Amino acid sequence: MFESVDHVVSQLEKQGYICDKRIGTVVFLANKLGKPVLVEGPAGVGKTELAKVVSAALGRELIRLQCYEGLDEAKALYEWEYSKQLLYTQILKDKVAETIQGATNLRDAAEKIGAEDSVFFSERFIVPRPLMQAITSEEPVLLLIDEVDKSDPEFEAFLLEVLSDFQVTVPEIGTIRAKSQPLVFLTSNDAREMSDALKRRCLHLWIDYPNEELECRILNTKVPGIDERLADEVVTVMHRIRDLDLKKTPSISETLDWARALLALNAGELEDELVNDTLSVILKYEGDVQKAQGELSKLLEKKSAEAAAEKPQPAPAAAAKKGILH
Amino acid sequence: MESKIVEFTNLLRKSGVRVSVAEAIDAFTAVDELSFEDRELFKIALRASMIKRGDEIPTYNELFDLFWSGFYDNLREQFGEMAGEMGENGIDLEQLMKQLAEMMSQMDGDMDLGELAKALLTQNLNELENMIREAAEQAGTQRIENMLQVGFFSRRTMEGLGAEGATEELEGLAQRLEDAGLSPEQVAQLRELIGKLMETLRKVVRNFTERELQTQNHDYMEKFRREMLTEKSFYHLTEEEIARMREVVTRLAQRIKNVLSIRRKRLKHGKLDLHQTLRRNMARGGIPFEVIYKQRRKDRPKLVILCDVSSSVANVSRFMLQFMYSLQEAFTKMHSYVFVSELGDVTPLFKERDVNVAIENALDGGDVINVYTRSNFGHAFHDFWKNHLSAIDNRTTVLILGDARNNYNDPKAWCLRDIHNKAKNVVWLNPESPSAWGFGDSVMDRYLPYCDVVEECRNLRQLAKVVDQIVL
Ligand SMILES: Nc1ncnc2c1ncn2[C@@H]1O[C@H](COP(=O)(O)OP(=O)(O)OP(=O)(O)O)[C@@H](O)[C@H]1O
Ligand SMILES: [Mg+2]
Repeated sequence: MFESVDHVVSQLEKQGYICDKRIGTVVFLANKLGKPVLVEGPAGVGKTELAKVVSAALGRELIRLQCYEGLDEAKALYEWEYSKQLLYTQILKDKVAETIQGATNLRDAAEKIGAEDSVFFSERFIVPRPLMQAITSEEPVLLLIDEVDKSDPEFEAFLLEVLSDFQVTVPEIGTIRAKSQPLVFLTSNDAREMSDALKRRCLHLWIDYPNEELECRILNTKVPGIDERLADEVVTVMHRIRDLDLKKTPSISETLDWARALLALNAGELEDELVNDTLSVILKYEGDVQKAQGELSKLLEKKSAEAAAEKPQPAPAAAAKKGILH
Repeated sequence: MESKIVEFTNLLRKSGVRVSVAEAIDAFTAVDELSFEDRELFKIALRASMIKRGDEIPTYNELFDLFWSGFYDNLREQFGEMAGEMGENGIDLEQLMKQLAEMMSQMDGDMDLGELAKALLTQNLNELENMIREAAEQAGTQRIENMLQVGFFSRRTMEGLGAEGATEELEGLAQRLEDAGLSPEQVAQLRELIGKLMETLRKVVRNFTERELQTQNHDYMEKFRREMLTEKSFYHLTEEEIARMREVVTRLAQRIKNVLSIRRKRLKHGKLDLHQTLRRNMARGGIPFEVIYKQRRKDRPKLVILCDVSSSVANVSRFMLQFMYSLQEAFTKMHSYVFVSELGDVTPLFKERDVNVAIENALDGGDVINVYTRSNFGHAFHDFWKNHLSAIDNRTTVLILGDARNNYNDPKAWCLRDIHNKAKNVVWLNPESPSAWGFGDSVMDRYLPYCDVVEECRNLRQLAKVVDQIVL
């Protein structure tokens, strides 16, 4: 259990997730009130990761339901294990014969088998899928319903039922109630707007791109060994790029990828050539790359001009430390 | 605090943010778990429980500041300033307060001070905030409408607070302290303090009233904007309004879709599908362990859209197309044609491109027709009759959008008659009001006999109503 908002923030940090009070507060409340959280925001800002680290911080098992178009109740909830049922009928043939012994006609025999129906439609033959797993777990788990916007509206309506009473009905068995209430995180990329009904049941968390300070901290945590000045420069450049009107705005994951690439190349600071060579790590469209190059070359020119001006005298330590982009 | 949250919720609602009762209750419970001393956390908690859509966040932030933090901050600021001024005049407020407290405790208990006088003297800002809010409500400040009323409501609030009485009480106190032997210098300081306190109180009350006016105006503006948008005629829209309107259409369409899909879910089971069942159970020797039902369809109509894209009705066409294509799932087939005079098939456009891009393209004639001619409905219908009539059957709804201003050409109403005979129904949306139909070059009256539904459609509200009728 989390004790306070600050406690959440520090616990998540221990798991390598850097966030501010805004995220901390919502996580704290969700946990405290037992409400699902709908996490929305652009791709790669750490929505999925948040659910993972919260489960780790709480020591709860993470059960993940990945949504996609065409996902249906059977795949999310449970399926009957036909082959096992069939196998049992084969093995139990003799028993079946025994059961219908004494039956004088077909109807009678069917009645007798019918009376044993429940054997074959019992929990023994159910293959639980994530939702069922989450609900029937003895220990409370964290249920991550990832990319719920990709699922069909029909599925959303079904989810709504499950999320409102934490129970499911299997026609042959009856109602299965939650043994423990899972903490639920739903993530969405806004592929489509979720229904008001679903939103009403959830606390809402909007995660945006982090500010520079936060992103630097994320970078230093996730890419250990990166030079602090390089990290600063990378983040500054990323923020410049995000201000451009791009087809696909790079996210935290791209920042991390880029930093790792630069580290692998042993880069100590950002230079024109290096940036051009590695820009494809953060930008996937040629048009975007060109736009960014235009913007960044201005930036880097300024940097080299400054560096040249500084060259004659041995640069004082403070000036050297100060990144070019500042 | 709860009543304050309720008030805030109402304010949000009035500004067009949908907050359900359940969400308001969530907000109470959420706030209970945190302390409100931290306004930042408080703001996040309320937002997480009540605001679920990105486009509502700016309104929320603005209202939150107006409603929650703004006023208290102002109180603190004003009283801080007051202390500063006293300091400049060489009065150490803290020192003075300490001495007063001491004297007062010696002068056995009862000081005959009312709530307000006490709160002022001790500068208990929380208490003051509550008192001012209450008095303002009694004074009816929430009904304020314009700048000219600020003075009036401020005065009434001051009266409700009992400011005059408090002044007298405080002066009486000064007198008694003087009699009890407080040094003349300090008595003068106390009198100055009392004057300043009352002056500051007047300032903050006025500030509160002004804020209330802002809140009410905000409300009004928002409502006005929204209502305007759905009521606004499609004929005159700015770029910005078109963009906003597009969002509204998306939202309306989404709502209809949700209704549709929930309905479909309810209708899920149809008849037993024998063929599929046998097939699925082949591996189990054809024993039907798993039973498959036919998907029952609420017979979803085929839709054929004929859209006039001449400049006079381009905007209506734009939003109608957006609507229909957002609701594609509601139809088994959708075919769209645009015309001014010749008819162009733009169905492929919508397959290849993003809806909004396709629409803009279609409005330009979709590279298939010339949009710079004069409208000729007769020609367009004839074109359709010649080339596409076979595509219509008794499950087809034909949706026609146009003003039927035919530039005195032959209306060829018989083409529409034949279309009408084959189709399930013909729906005509006309952006002109019925009183204009049939006058001048309008040939609407000639087409009327062959339409099952005819609606005037000039703004979003009317459009949404028609769409509802067609799909639900
Ligand atoms: N605040 C953070 N602290 C540490 N790492 C983070 C943070 N936010 C994101 N990351 C890292 O960024 C990467 C992308 O995060 P994640 O996959 O959770 O994004 P997402 O929002 O779920 O994206 P998508 O919408 O594409 O699913 C992960 O590798 C994660 O470790
Ligand atoms: Mg994800």
